[in-house]
Amino acid sequence: MNLKNNNFNENVVNVDVLVIGGGSAGTMAALAARRQGLDVALVDKAGIDRSGCGAAGNDHFLAVLDTGPDWDTNEAFMTWYHRLTQGLVDMNIPPKVYLSRIKNLLKYLEELGVPMREDTENDAYIRTGSFGQPGEYFINFDGRNLKPTISKEAKKIGVKFFRRINIVDLLVNETGVIGAVGFDIRKGDFYVFLAKATIVATGNVTRFYNNQASMPYNSWHSPYNNGGAQAMAFRAGAEIKNMEFVNYTLTPVNFSASALNAIVGMGGYIVNGLGERFLFKYHEKGEKGPRWIMPWGVYWELKEGRGPCYFDLRHLSEEDLNHLINNLLPVDKNTFLDYCEQKGVDVRNDLMEVQISEGQLPAFLGSVSGINITPECETTIPGLFAGGACTVAVGSLSGSMCVGDTAGEEAAKYVLSGGGGRLEISPETVQGMKQSIFKHLANMDGLKPCELEEKLRQVMTLYVGIGRSKMGLEAAQAELNKLGNLLITAKTENLHELMRLFEFRDLLEVSKAVVRGALEREESRFGISHYRGDFPESRKEWHCSLHQKLEKGQIILKRVEPYNL
Amino acid sequence: MAILIDEKLCNGCGLCDVNCPGDLIFMDEGTQKPKVLYPEECWYCGACRMDCPKDCIKIVFPLTSL
Ligand SMILES: Cc1cc2nc3c(=O)[nH]c(=O)nc-3n(C[C@H](O)[C@H](O)[C@H](O)COP(=O)(O)OP(=O)(O)OC[C@H]3O[C@@H](n4cnc5c(N)ncnc54)[C@H](O)[C@@H]3O)c2cc1C
Repeated sequence: MNLKNNNFNENVVNVDVLVIGGGSAGTMAALAARRQGLDVALVDKAGIDRSGCGAAGNDHFLAVLDTGPDWDTNEAFMTWYHRLTQGLVDMNIPPKVYLSRIKNLLKYLEELGVPMREDTENDAYIRTGSFGQPGEYFINFDGRNLKPTISKEAKKIGVKFFRRINIVDLLVNETGVIGAVGFDIRKGDFYVFLAKATIVATGNVTRFYNNQASMPYNSWHSPYNNGGAQAMAFRAGAEIKNMEFVNYTLTPVNFSASALNAIVGMGGYIVNGLGERFLFKYHEKGEKGPRWIMPWGVYWELKEGRGPCYFDLRHLSEEDLNHLINNLLPVDKNTFLDYCEQKGVDVRNDLMEVQISEGQLPAFLGSVSGINITPECETTIPGLFAGGACTVAVGSLSGSMCVGDTAGEEAAKYVLSGGGGRLEISPETVQGMKQSIFKHLANMDGLKPCELEEKLRQVMTLYVGIGRSKMGLEAAQAELNKLGNLLITAKTENLHELMRLFEFRDLLEVSKAVVRGALEREESRFGISHYRGDFPESRKEWHCSLHQKLEKGQIILKRVEPYNL
Repeated sequence: MAILIDEKLCNGCGLCDVNCPGDLIFMDEGTQKPKVLYPEECWYCGACRMDCPKDCIKIVFPLTSL
């Protein structure tokens, strides 16, 4: 195949509903829309059966089940969630997209044979609590085959799969969003999708901060999620919000495993180099406090010379240790025990050193950053819906699945009630988009995607990492603008690199939004998520959301009051 | 490094290529066996080996991630 001559096939696909991203949320969205009898395309740059953050399995399934105790009710969940998000999430969203669906989702997955009951003797759920929850919302489950299972269901009911198509941009005309364009990362074919409703569900944003082991793909969440949805929606004019709150977690040193939920959920301790359980200094609940407290505490312990910090599991009962080591850690991250073995750590008897992960935009419960949606999962642009970790709704695995389900159902409703713009776009526009993608294969001189991306991470880590200031953020802005110019002439040798280049483009878009938000928000909030050394306290006038959108090339900012319960 | 595939055991089914969420593994047209073209872009997630019918994939962590 000659990649330079730009003679790639063109495919035009017409559907009712287009779903971009076939992860936890996207697959559920496709299922829900297809159940309404609509023609649905599910498009992913990966293989779908195992792609995204659920590729190899998750182990905690957030569920409110009304089993009796006060904490296991919708009211208790809402109170906790409101406190966790500090009112920065629209509180009309959780009942509609999550609480009304979670029991059905659980039932559905059990019917499909996903093992949810780890207490096999009593055929019961094992539930644990973490991150400041009032009770035990997390069902511990074996999610290793969850992704292939729902993927198979979607295929079975007639969702059309488009694997290995990297979506680059949304198609927009004066009626709103009418589809998207992308290319086949193995064959190079150019794709134009035209749809009455489009749902973006490409997950979170990783790879824009330096990784502690100097391995950019060794990230806490999937390194192949790069803010596609957030960037595409933003370029199309949709509102994104609170982008300045970058998230961190604790991971085993040099290894990207999520692990923290399993460890604190089972009652593990976090100790400093002096052997002290130091987190109580930072939050009354210690290890049971919200997630952001843990990297915040570790940050100060390290800074003040009391590091390194460790997971300490030595006090756990044999039964709890077995559950953790057999059912949780290697399900959460399939390679967890390989890491332990190759590093020479014995989880039962040794302290396990931890570190603060690289920053990312979140995919977990309590996140307040991403695409702004209504309880119907509509964005602020007609024809465009969003679901999963890219949105501001209930995050986490089961949250994303429920939000995806809502997005699919609501997009179908929209189409069935006659919604959808005029599916017309000028051939010149489409050809222009095609050219702007494939020209990079013909460029001879420019920089390579990995070089640009490396610089992006350097800038973000240096100026927009932990501890921010006006001067630093302005320096970041200048550097990111330079990267924008270098992008135009970037060169790629093959289709794989071409995909990486468009990932970089989205990362750059998101990074700019993070910097803009961080510069504007003259306060600190959520620990190291957004810590301005020049405004180190949370400020009343900033107890609000900050929305951004693009209008005629200008960024429009809007402050939105916090929501009450 | 990163993903070690035992070519002698491998039956060439290509599932690891399909399952890798990062587009790192490619079937070699000549040998009909998978090749890891971008080991430095590995997430160490294990998706490539989970459905491997021959159990012939080993994940090897580089020194800096230990
Ligand atoms: C190792 C790990 C363990 C976790 N454990 C838990 C847990 O136990 N409990 C819990 O609640 N949560 C857990 N999470 C988080 C949970 O998995 C995510 O919140 C959830 O999967 C998010 O779903 P999503 O559909 O938004 O994104 P994903 O499932 O990540 O899907 C995004 C999809 O979009 C595709 N994509 C991206 N960009 C493009 C593009 N430009 N064009 C086409 N396709 C694109 C990707 O290939 C991917 O398939 C875990 C995450 C990880 C990484």
